[in-house]
Amino acid sequence: MKKEDTLILEKCGNRRPFTTPEGYFDNLTANIMAALPEIQHEKPAKVTPWTRMKVWVYAAASFIGMFFIINTAVSLTDGKYDVKTAEAPSQVYSDEYIESFFETAMVDEYTLYCSLTNTGGFNHL
Amino acid sequence: MAFDEKKVIEMLRADDASKSRAFEEIVRTFSEQLYWQIRHMVYSHDDANDLLQNTFIKAWQNIDSFQGYSKISTWLYRIAINETLTFINRQKAIQTVAIDDPDVNLDERLEGDPYFDGNETEEQLQQAIATLPEKQRMVFNMKYFDEMKYEDMSEILGTSVGALKASYHIAVKKIEDYFNNLD
Repeated sequence: MKKEDTLILEKCGNRRPFTTPEGYFDNLTANIMAALPEIQHEKPAKVTPWTRMKVWVYAAASFIGMFFIINTAVSLTDGKYDVKTAEAPSQVYSDEYIESFFETAMVDEYTLYCSLTNTGGFNHL
Repeated sequence: MAFDEKKVIEMLRADDASKSRAFEEIVRTFSEQLYWQIRHMVYSHDDANDLLQNTFIKAWQNIDSFQGYSKISTWLYRIAINETLTFINRQKAIQTVAIDDPDVNLDERLEGDPYFDGNETEEQLQQAIATLPEKQRMVFNMKYFDEMKYEDMSEILGTSVGALKASYHIAVKKIEDYFNNLD
């Protein structure tokens, strides 16, 4: 059976029409080997006392840092932002006024408690 | 001395000195055939030499990942083919900016190449091969110049034997047409 590439083979042959510099293949292996990078070995991480301790040292340093930051913030703001003074000033009544109010208003202690704690039953006040 | 694949793989798994000796054996055995495969694709000796170096450097860097599921030659051919195709595509991208057809000046390149010693017909054959798509070109070169078996080509290129036969048949027809148009 005639091979499918016979026509081309008869016309051109299958010789490689390329050449190389003289001695190229003689030195090829040596040249390739010389160009290879060195073998890299991954060294196992050495465990030193510091490696074991450093997590705790970092944690302790963080806590100390936070303590100082909070402490400084508190000392700087001390008295400036008093919660009592920040609230709306409430109306001030004298003791005499309150005593006369309870005498005339017929309010018992329970109703007074409800009024002060806002728990209902004193809408009449 | 014949290449003992099993022994070479064992040496690759051993200490650094054995690994280096085994790799040298691999280079000695396969460098020339890989060179010609690359050279037929890129034409220039300097480019083929660079790509061959890169192929072995990549193989060396990944030698520990070689599991031995395929033959060493198959593995090396695959690396070489990938390197070559990447190079050709990069060259095409550069040349397309300057000219429409990157193969248009192949005859000038071959005539000016001190390492091309083909006659007029051989030069025409190279011109005809250059018109084929890369993979078809590779199949044609492997079969026509290296007389490689379809089964071996199938392992290297990851294509079925049937598809390779069809590819070679089409390549031969295209090259015949090329010559018919010249006559």
